[in-house]
Amino acid sequence: MSVGASIEALALSLGAFRLKEIDFAVSSGEIAVILGPNGAGKSVTLEAIAGFHRPESGRVLIGGRDVTAFPPERRRVGFVFQNFGLFPHLNVAQNVAIAQRRDGPVAGAKYAPPSGDPAALLDYFGIAHLAQRSPSDLSPGEKQRVALARALAAAPDLFLFDEPFSALDAETHEQLREELKAYLRALAIPTIFVSHDRSDALTLADKVIVLRGGAVIQSGPAAEVFQKPANSFIARVVGVENVLSGRVMETSKDFLTVTVGDQVVRAVSPASATPSDGSVLLGIRAEDVEIDPVHTAPPRKAGTNRLPGRIAQLRRAGPLVGVTVDCGLRLTAYLLGSQVRKMNLENGSPVVVEIKPEAIHVMSD
Amino acid sequence: MHAKFTPGRAAMSPWRFRAAPSRPGALYLLCWFAGSVLIAFLVIPLIALALTQTWSSLAAIARMTDVRDAIMLSIEGAFLSALCAALVGVPLAYALARTAFPGKGVIAALIDLPLAVPHTVAGIALLMVFGRQGTFGQPLQSIGLKFWGTIAGIVVAMLFVSAPYTVNAARIGFEAVDPRLEKVARSLGLGPWRTFFRITLPLARRSIMTGITLTYARSISEFGAVIILAYYPMTAPVKIYELFLRFGLEQSAAAAVLLLIVSLSLFVLLRTLAQRGGQPQESR
Amino acid sequence: MKRSVCLSLATLGLAGALLPAALAAQPANPVTLSIFAAGTLAVPFRQVNALLEKKYPNVTVQAQFGGSVMMAKKITDLHQDADLLAVADYNVIPKYMFGNPAHASWYAGFARNAITFVYTDKSKFANEINPQNWYKVLARPGVEIGRSNPDTDPSGYQTVQMLNLAEKFYNEPGLEQKILANAPLTNMRDTETSLISALQLGQIDYLAIYRSDALQHHLKFIDLPAKIDLSDPAQSAYYQNGVAHTKNGDLAGKPIVYAATVVNGSKNATMAVNYVALLLGQQGQAVMKTNGFGTFSPAFAVHVAAMPAPLKSLVQPWPSS
Repeated sequence: MSVGASIEALALSLGAFRLKEIDFAVSSGEIAVILGPNGAGKSVTLEAIAGFHRPESGRVLIGGRDVTAFPPERRRVGFVFQNFGLFPHLNVAQNVAIAQRRDGPVAGAKYAPPSGDPAALLDYFGIAHLAQRSPSDLSPGEKQRVALARALAAAPDLFLFDEPFSALDAETHEQLREELKAYLRALAIPTIFVSHDRSDALTLADKVIVLRGGAVIQSGPAAEVFQKPANSFIARVVGVENVLSGRVMETSKDFLTVTVGDQVVRAVSPASATPSDGSVLLGIRAEDVEIDPVHTAPPRKAGTNRLPGRIAQLRRAGPLVGVTVDCGLRLTAYLLGSQVRKMNLENGSPVVVEIKPEAIHVMSD
Repeated sequence: MHAKFTPGRAAMSPWRFRAAPSRPGALYLLCWFAGSVLIAFLVIPLIALALTQTWSSLAAIARMTDVRDAIMLSIEGAFLSALCAALVGVPLAYALARTAFPGKGVIAALIDLPLAVPHTVAGIALLMVFGRQGTFGQPLQSIGLKFWGTIAGIVVAMLFVSAPYTVNAARIGFEAVDPRLEKVARSLGLGPWRTFFRITLPLARRSIMTGITLTYARSISEFGAVIILAYYPMTAPVKIYELFLRFGLEQSAAAAVLLLIVSLSLFVLLRTLAQRGGQPQESR
Repeated sequence: MKRSVCLSLATLGLAGALLPAALAAQPANPVTLSIFAAGTLAVPFRQVNALLEKKYPNVTVQAQFGGSVMMAKKITDLHQDADLLAVADYNVIPKYMFGNPAHASWYAGFARNAITFVYTDKSKFANEINPQNWYKVLARPGVEIGRSNPDTDPSGYQTVQMLNLAEKFYNEPGLEQKILANAPLTNMRDTETSLISALQLGQIDYLAIYRSDALQHHLKFIDLPAKIDLSDPAQSAYYQNGVAHTKNGDLAGKPIVYAATVVNGSKNATMAVNYVALLLGQQGQAVMKTNGFGTFSPAFAVHVAAMPAPLKSLVQPWPSS
């Protein structure tokens, strides 16, 4: 087992809230993102891993050591929360220097952080010139780097981020996220990142854990969770734009025929069995909905679903145009503005919608 | 229809408040007015008192050893009282700020209770407990600690009436420190004690110092409770009262003004000490 | 908003309805009589006040009680308005009030008192002490005795004078010193009544106080010989041998006589005179006796010629010492 962090069957009660049997692992070089709605228990999980809540059962292993009984200061975690939590009464150099230096990474660790000497760390993050500044005089990007330098000064075996970007505007959010990703990749220290924003998961995650009501409802590699959400709730969490209910008509080895709305489509058989009454939910990502005007549509490929329809609505969505198309079922898709103009699309334009069977994800609930 | 007020008028008005770029509103003026009334109410009687004295009359009273001793005793006693309040009250304030337990509201209310107790009653209650035959007084007397007619008794009386100020101010100070900062400190390897002394306490410092200063001030002026436990040695308020009985208004006013001058200087000193720090040093 | 307006109007209406009734209850010419008196007179004076208010329904008496010197100084130094001053030591009036300007021109002694020691069951040697051995018991080490400050309070210096007399009376040199050693500065307050709680809590064993206080507070007390306890004006000459050394000088013993006077310039002089008359008369003297004070018949007075006419017949000149 690689030296990383592992949470085994962690359960605890916090007042009326219960965390039920949380189970996942993250290895060095990996970033795991915990996604979920507010109140799902994301922060509680993170704090329990860091040692601020005593679990009723389960284990927390960090860097190969069982730290379940350890107080926070002995767990070797680096904790960064919203607004980065810099100590306002200390300047940047003092913030970094206050960390209690422990010995280097545990034996067998696949990461090697830069030297723990505060001056060297400031250099590594390019903030040496800010050493005497007060935290209130820093930009969010500078604060992030100070927070990272400070966390590294304590030689952590695990990084924990609790929604550090929530209070920032969209542009700064993206910028900082990109920067953080670069640093985390370079450092390769196992990282658990909590967010309610799925774009954070999209950008950062190697692994996604979806939390709801204090329990893990799906966890796995990011691609898998994003493309094959286990149920419609998760589908919405990971941003599947189209979730429709349908009924299975026919099953074969590889495919299902499903009626949905006024149409019949072919979808790839899911790994798990479908309900006996045949009612299913279909998840289709907007990016998998291909739209072409009727006249210029390319010839149909074998096995693809092709549905004629009309544009119901066009709306601006940032750089893209959100297209709602009615083809016997209402679907959302995105097109570039230039595409819309080239295809001369407007409300009511007749179009053809093409969806590959692999893009239709069948869910039981 | 032309505007009633010319546009440039606000800029020309002498009332250029930084927070109110346009003409000062009625609310602002009302605040200033109310504030001035209160300040006048507090300051004018003290000034009237001070004006009854001349430098020579103050010098004369300052020459009296018993007056100087009384003032020194008051300062010492108030200092010890503030110290005790800090040592015991600050941890209590931290517990109140950070932990939730059943009966917390009751405890918080109890802390304010001494402020509502008439001072003489407080003195008698303390004598009941710390006197020769008191629950604590009796065993403590056997090891040589007496509260009747000693500075220990003075401190006990001062502490009883003034401790709430330290606890309340410190509690507000601790509540203003984001608990997540403490969590970060713990994750950085600082244990609970180090976290408290290097993160929590410095951030709450100004509130705590304000509370301690209030405790100190209240201690210096306490009369009713102190005099039950200790008449001799005399604190300044007791001495001033005695001077009034023996000589009259003039001498007691002189001693009072002397006490005010000494107290004022001390408070200014304490406030400046509280202001310093709390900001990171810009240059080392 | 509407509700509070209704409530205010209702209150005003009610007040308005009651006002005529209240006014009707007030007799014509309401008089508020302001009295400053010694603390030990609190209980008897409240009874005399009631008698006065009954006799003159238009009068309300507002009395303040405290140390005799403090009360005198409130008039002379703080210029507070009082119609009548009554003190525990008749000397306070000539000393503070006869000055320039003169706040008073005469005074009449209306009650007597004695200095004694009070104690409780908790006091050390309480079961042993008696009028014969008291001075030996009080001199024993470990006995805590309370008293008031001789520099500021009459009972303070009267206690010292009594001990001085006792030393001579019992022919026990050093008696005064030994007993005073058990009554150090820490056991002193500016009035003896503030030490009563200390006595009851067991902080002190014996308290030098007036016999009237002993009776009022139902405390045990020692019956001291009249020759030393300053209770008998006839013994004035002997009392002079008892001397107290204070910051105000050496004070020779005088009988404890409570004196009253009407303050010069009082706006309610007539009613104040009525009060004094009541005090010196049969009813007033009865009240004083019930409360443990010694009485006079008739009262002694100083500067009789300066007294208001109605009072002259009630007094006799002070015996010259």
